[in-house]
Amino acid sequence: MSDRDFTVIGQSVIRKEALSKVLGEAKFAADYKFDGMLYGGVFRSTVPHAAIKRFDASKALALPGVACVLTAKDIPGKNKTGIIIKDEPCLVDDKVRRVGDAIALVAADTPERVHEALDLMEIEYDLLEPIFTIERALEEDSPKIHGTTNIHAKKHLECGDVDAAFAKCDVIVENTYSTQMLSHMFIEPDAGVATYKDKIITVYASTQNPHYDRSDVAGVLGLPSNRVRIVQVTTGGGFGGKLDISVQCHIALLAYHIGKPVKMVRSRTESTIVSAKRHPMTMRAKTGATKDGKIQAVEVFMTGDTGAYASYGPAVITRAVVHCMGPYEVPNVRVDAVFVYTNNPMSGAMRGFGVPQAAYCHEGQMNAIAKELKMDPIELRLLNAHRIGTTIATGQVLTDSVGFKETLLAAAAKAKEVM
Amino acid sequence: MEKIRVSFNLNNEDVTIETFPNKRVVDMLREDFGCTSVKEGCGEGECGACTVIRNGEPVTSCTMLAGQVAGDRIVTLEGLSKNGELDILQKTFMEAGAVQCGFCTPGMILSAKALLMKNPHPTREEIRRALSGNLCRCTGYTKIIKAVEMAIEE
Amino acid sequence: MKKRGRGVASMWYGIGNTGLPNPAAAFIEVLSDTSVNLMVGCADIGQGSTTAMAQIAAEELGLDYEDIHVTSADTMVTPEGGATSASRQTLISGNATKLAARQAKGTLAEVASGFLNVPEEDLIFRNREIYSCKDNSVRMTYKELMAEMKKHGRLAVGAGAYNPKTTYLDPQTMAGIPYEVYSYATTIAEVEVDTETGEVEVLKVVSAHDVGRSINDVMVEGQIEGGVVMGEGFAVFEKVEYSNGVIKNPIFSKYLIPTAMDAPDIYSVVVECEGECGAYGAKGVGEPALIPSIPAIAAAVEDAIGVHFTSLPITPTDVLRELDKQKER
Repeated sequence: MSDRDFTVIGQSVIRKEALSKVLGEAKFAADYKFDGMLYGGVFRSTVPHAAIKRFDASKALALPGVACVLTAKDIPGKNKTGIIIKDEPCLVDDKVRRVGDAIALVAADTPERVHEALDLMEIEYDLLEPIFTIERALEEDSPKIHGTTNIHAKKHLECGDVDAAFAKCDVIVENTYSTQMLSHMFIEPDAGVATYKDKIITVYASTQNPHYDRSDVAGVLGLPSNRVRIVQVTTGGGFGGKLDISVQCHIALLAYHIGKPVKMVRSRTESTIVSAKRHPMTMRAKTGATKDGKIQAVEVFMTGDTGAYASYGPAVITRAVVHCMGPYEVPNVRVDAVFVYTNNPMSGAMRGFGVPQAAYCHEGQMNAIAKELKMDPIELRLLNAHRIGTTIATGQVLTDSVGFKETLLAAAAKAKEVM
Repeated sequence: MEKIRVSFNLNNEDVTIETFPNKRVVDMLREDFGCTSVKEGCGEGECGACTVIRNGEPVTSCTMLAGQVAGDRIVTLEGLSKNGELDILQKTFMEAGAVQCGFCTPGMILSAKALLMKNPHPTREEIRRALSGNLCRCTGYTKIIKAVEMAIEE
Repeated sequence: MKKRGRGVASMWYGIGNTGLPNPAAAFIEVLSDTSVNLMVGCADIGQGSTTAMAQIAAEELGLDYEDIHVTSADTMVTPEGGATSASRQTLISGNATKLAARQAKGTLAEVASGFLNVPEEDLIFRNREIYSCKDNSVRMTYKELMAEMKKHGRLAVGAGAYNPKTTYLDPQTMAGIPYEVYSYATTIAEVEVDTETGEVEVLKVVSAHDVGRSINDVMVEGQIEGGVVMGEGFAVFEKVEYSNGVIKNPIFSKYLIPTAMDAPDIYSVVVECEGECGAYGAKGVGEPALIPSIPAIAAAVEDAIGVHFTSLPITPTDVLRELDKQKER
């Protein structure tokens, strides 16, 4: 049978859940309701770096309608979460590392009561010196946010002889690019409901990562994975911002302790403050070409602020390093990258994992080279483009499905038509 | 706080409810009337996910209190399809691929509906303006605008 | 004065996690009435993976899209799917789905082969029928096949798992195979810069994406259009403002994202440079959709006013500051 002759592939069929969505019947996490369901809330830090001197929830507990208040000592399993490095507590135990760290949980009969209870909780901190810049984070005498160093990750990629190649270049362009912290701003704030029945914890959640959620919920509760069920319900966008744990462990912990369903819906503000952000990055780039337009060498030094916890930081730095010379045949490449912990908001995954930042850098450089050489930017790209047989900087030889040149030609043709 | 009695028309049905005067319309519709198509994305009237049609005008129900809708005609997405027959906008949103995550969809369809009730043949610019209070992070709006244009054609 | 400019930018994007195993799996069962249950770990967050998986399963089994019911991302029902991230699900869960369907099809082919007296390798499953590639008058309907399956006490079930072919990267040099395959894209943006207000208006964007194989054109375009508009926000207005560790603009009235008024006219071009590794050659488009629009818009601004901005976002204040500097020179 010819592989090209499809009956379903390539058809713009109407998506499976479109009808339920246009009818308004699709159930998102906040739309779930269970008998006897309580509402949960989180008491969060308002300071970036501190030890907790005193926490008192007695007034909140005395409030009629409040079912429980939980802190780190109520965690039956491991008080550590995180997709790659387990460095984020479910509830703060040793110290606060950012504004918005979760310190205590409350469950009550109404959302209003939850807010009332949170307002009645009292806390005193022993403030620690906060770190807000990469420079301060790297200084020897700076306080350490985790362990003995604030360096979260360091990467070095090298191929060819970069210095010798630059010496032979006719044109060299140097620039330092910086990109901002961004927020995913998915329209549905994080939400979920947990139930505990027949010794099974079930979490209905807005998530991009149900199987990972299962492992962290099981870890926090000290349960085997087959007693935790994560059901990803209709999810209102993610863009990377719903890869980390949001409400899952918190509602599971509350439901486990009180044996009743617990729902948690974050406000927009809470959602934005707590969920991971796009890494702000700085990239110092040097790109050299011979006058025929062939790129000979690229050197990049990049830094990134991953904030208080690792989240997807290790994935972002690795991906940014691998991609930062762009889709071009560059025989000589040297990249160094350092990401650090600070007490700033946590950075993690956001659509592209560092490649949008890297692309801003490598494309800025390509256009600058084109300008220097008075070459058409598309011609320059065609001349250097990946093709079948290209060896990339990691040594991988591209053997399959390399359609870069086709996109250059197709975009140029379309632009000619419509612009 | 004392409860108040509020009567209004919801999706072509006269309803009356005893509720607290400070209850937001979004909460009343979702909790007391089960209209969970009304979504809350921001709570400050900026994202438009909680849009309902009030007396022919699109409004954000998160910035209105229960007492404010007394005597009004309110339409939510639940009230748009009649006897199982989809509204034309519901059909074109599906056909155009205007739905991705779907969280903005109810508000988006209702803003478009309110526009078409007042102006059955809007220009693309008028469509853009009418939808500018409804944020969507998935689609880039292109297919949403197309869906509204398809509805005009039919 | 309003100045127009045009800029081009490209990108590459490795599909899946970098230099790490990242498998996903799927379970499938063809029921006796020819409807199908597909259970796949992959979370659909609006990008449309559930639909794409149903299309892949339908194609492999020779059934219709409507025949496939998908249960996704329920850890008590569906196998590991990994994260919906890294633009990986079409490639990885897509391949897992195809492999699961192929396993079920193996049993179906055995029984069909016996009934039609045609070697298994000569059987074609297509449009709810099974026939011989040598003589298409030798055929049976899927309903007949399922009746035959029942008679023989056979069940059409399958499980599939797929892990992209990568290697760990060398910790010293990062040498290795970070990804099995890469998506590519080129974007051309046209902007208008108001030299009085400093505002950048993105007018038109052409974005061409090599997705390997488009499973569903409208959904691929939907990804591209959404990515372009998110890229516009990245390039010219979005920024989290924070000081002393506190985010100052966590709400939509202070953190502005593009509205329907801001969205440019978008011309998506789907390029299909299919290869061996994806399900029917499909790679991924979710993140590629965003990436090149950012540098393309920056390049268009540079083309309009002659400033090579090296910091994002390019706000009206930045534009006016640079234009003032130009005047001073």
